[in-house]
Amino acid sequence: MSGKFEYAEIIGSGAAMFDYDNDGDLDVLLVQYKGQSRLFRNDLSDGKLSFTDVTENSGVSSRGNGMGVATGDFNNDGCVDLFLTNLGPNQLFRNNCDGTFTDVSRQSHTDGEPVSPKLAIDRKASEGGWSVSAAFVDYDRDGWLDLFVGNYVSWHAETSMPCFSPSGRQDYCSPNVFQPQPSRLYHNNRDGTFTDVTAAAGLLREYGPALGVSTADFNGDGWPDIYVANDGQPNQLWINQHDGTFKNMGLLSGTALSAHGKAKAGMGVDAGDFDNDGDDDLFVTNLTGEGNDLYVNDGIGLFEEQSARSGLGPASRAYTGFGTAWFDIDNDGWLDTLIVNGAVQTIEALRRLSDPFPLHQRKLLFRNLRDGRFEDVTARGGPAFQLSEVGRGAAFGDIDNDGDVDVLVANNNGKPRLLINNIGSRSHWIGLRLVAGKGRDRIGARVGVVLDAGRTIWRRARAEGSYASANDPRVLVGLGQTTHVALVRVVWPDGRTEEWKTVAIDRYTTLTEGDSK
Amino acid sequence: MTKRLVLICLGTVLCACSSESKVTPEPLTPVALPDLSRMDAPVQQQLRERSQTLASKVEKPDTPPLELAESYGEVGNLLLAAEYTEAAEAYYLHAQALAPSDMRWPYYLGHVYRLRGDLATSAASFERVLRLRPNDLAALVWLGDVNVDQGKPEAAEPLFARALSLQPRLVAALFGAGRAALARRDYAHAVDQLEQALAADPRATMIHYSLGLAYRGLGDTAKADEHLRQRGGVEVGPPDPLMIALRGLLHGAVNEEEQGVRALSSRDFASAVVHFRRAVELAPDNPALRHKLGTALSLSGDTRAAFEEFEETVRRSPGFSQGHYSLGVLLAQEGRLPEAVDRFGAAVRLDPEFPQARYGYALALAQMKRYEEARKQLAEGAARFPDHQEFAEALTRLK
Repeated sequence: MSGKFEYAEIIGSGAAMFDYDNDGDLDVLLVQYKGQSRLFRNDLSDGKLSFTDVTENSGVSSRGNGMGVATGDFNNDGCVDLFLTNLGPNQLFRNNCDGTFTDVSRQSHTDGEPVSPKLAIDRKASEGGWSVSAAFVDYDRDGWLDLFVGNYVSWHAETSMPCFSPSGRQDYCSPNVFQPQPSRLYHNNRDGTFTDVTAAAGLLREYGPALGVSTADFNGDGWPDIYVANDGQPNQLWINQHDGTFKNMGLLSGTALSAHGKAKAGMGVDAGDFDNDGDDDLFVTNLTGEGNDLYVNDGIGLFEEQSARSGLGPASRAYTGFGTAWFDIDNDGWLDTLIVNGAVQTIEALRRLSDPFPLHQRKLLFRNLRDGRFEDVTARGGPAFQLSEVGRGAAFGDIDNDGDVDVLVANNNGKPRLLINNIGSRSHWIGLRLVAGKGRDRIGARVGVVLDAGRTIWRRARAEGSYASANDPRVLVGLGQTTHVALVRVVWPDGRTEEWKTVAIDRYTTLTEGDSK
Repeated sequence: MTKRLVLICLGTVLCACSSESKVTPEPLTPVALPDLSRMDAPVQQQLRERSQTLASKVEKPDTPPLELAESYGEVGNLLLAAEYTEAAEAYYLHAQALAPSDMRWPYYLGHVYRLRGDLATSAASFERVLRLRPNDLAALVWLGDVNVDQGKPEAAEPLFARALSLQPRLVAALFGAGRAALARRDYAHAVDQLEQALAADPRATMIHYSLGLAYRGLGDTAKADEHLRQRGGVEVGPPDPLMIALRGLLHGAVNEEEQGVRALSSRDFASAVVHFRRAVELAPDNPALRHKLGTALSLSGDTRAAFEEFEETVRRSPGFSQGHYSLGVLLAQEGRLPEAVDRFGAAVRLDPEFPQARYGYALALAQMKRYEEARKQLAEGAARFPDHQEFAEALTRLK
């Protein structure tokens, strides 16, 4: 905290859980706003976690002003690559499959070049852009991951004007004093380069200050859509038109605004089937006083806002939420949720206590009651949930490979926290890695785990979501006390379906496209 | 001093409650002003003066409880206006304990808790208001809203109904009733209430969103689409004299600015000038305030004074793009095109995402017959701002 109320200093940063060295466990990247982002290798052995900082020789040389991270194997070589979002030019690091990375930002054309070649003027200004959340998504279903980059606002430290609260006290600005920047969609050219197709895809028509991004097939047509949570302006739900273009259905879908019709300060977002009805629902975190939003999907891309009824809205009103995800904390087969919080404007009660960084808040943990409602179980979450910190990014994944989802929290101006799940592995589970070709993760694939009783639990292989962070792409399905799975059905991103009849429970299994028995 | 003050307050409260009513005294939180050091000087002064008045009343053993309550409430009001909700709460709790039959203090507490996100306590406070004054329209509507936000539409509907029985065309109550029906998935009733709300106040564009969703629920996509497209940001609220009284309470620059903006939006340019000028006197280095003063002056017809304020804005804050832009506009109006081009160009360089500046720049270039440069700016504007049709239209005209 600089004491100068520099807007950018309170926005980041994120974290990633990803297996960069293909040794079967999740490694960690922590994005840094000031200084070099850090890469930690997971040396998991016999269930015991230990990490080694391998940044120095990894080739991950970040430029600073880091905000977020996205992970995905853009060149289909079976090694996961890394995209860092920054205040300033973004960076794409190609994984060399030998434990090192090469910065290919410039040659891949993903560093924030002007939207079209005609826009060469003001190139310098364009390079001063500001991206926060990004997602690899194969929007054209050609088997190659494309890249969506959520851009925030036009802000420069040197020209930034001070903002004041009603008492005249200087504070961090609200985003509405800045111009939003259009987000970008990059098409993968399959040769290590990308083409900026933002305008051609129709995404320049409407944009806001984007902070959260989630990609899923929201209308059930088999094609990935893109949801963008905007800070103080209507959110967008870009529905894939199957021809390289998208149409914003945010308003009609009911996901653009709150129930009152007001735009909220959308930050983190995640899509998941919390009600186990076979479609992905949306959860968006917002500002103190607003409450978080739950949008329940009817299966065809029309949503009903059930923030109040679910209990998720009222219980979060006193918090400013950032990182979040749907995950099954107790492996009972129903998705729960966790939210990391931290204010963006001074909390007077903390300032009165001479707190040097008066933005911190507790995290929130909610258990799914299986009837559309959630129970606030924060108090039962353990000591980590009593800590008050300035939470921003949160990455979700099974870091100790014990069959439940752990959480890596990136705090602004504070230590990261790795929250180890001690409850999920008490129930049965099934872990799946969905791959193709040389072992590349098939992000966007959907998995239906059919239980003996005939009920199917649908989950999605994904790395995006949360806030400025990247998650474990493996699918982990809680089974509760169920000890047998009748069938595993996989819908691959290109729409083809395969079924596996014998998949062991309580362990991870790799399912390779075209390899079903 | 603070400790002594607290002890005295507790004693006073207990005495007051036992003699005035049978209400059980509530446990009081200690009262202390928050750190004022970073507030505007006039606001600090206001708070210190009110706090000293309160302290002197507290120290007098014969101060009547209602007078003491008023004094606590006045400090609470200043703190709430300054958005120091936690500090305000403590003062209002004292006021409420001292004057338990005064509906103002639980009313303000209802807003304090609502703003802090504590909806259950907010509802309890508004319920207390309604026990004291059952037909208070603002409290009925706010309690209804808080209930809807807590997922209790069934509890909200009788409140909105009561408000409507008192004032049948009360837009905020119709809107609330519509939203409550929407939350219960009674789409037909929601449409009925929301259509009535919109008919009662067609300017309240926020209603279109809920109405659109209600029509969507009925399966009428065309109507849904029609209303969603008209959705705007004009909010709906109940008649709320107590909350309105807080406006203008603070003497600081931000408050003057808020009043100036309100005057500007109601086209009362003379008042806007007065408020913005006061704001600039209080915060002379804030370029946004000076720029607003210039804008109000320009709208009131005093172009010369506006020009001076914009020039002063960019002299003090050369990086403030809007100052350059506004100067460009005035210069272009006066036909001083080379200077206008310089100003617009500076605004665009400082903020490439400023569509109006880029458009003004292009037009000024075109007026100087620098067509190629103008076309470049228009092309870039058309690419950057697809929603701004004026770029493409001007480009067509220039070709």
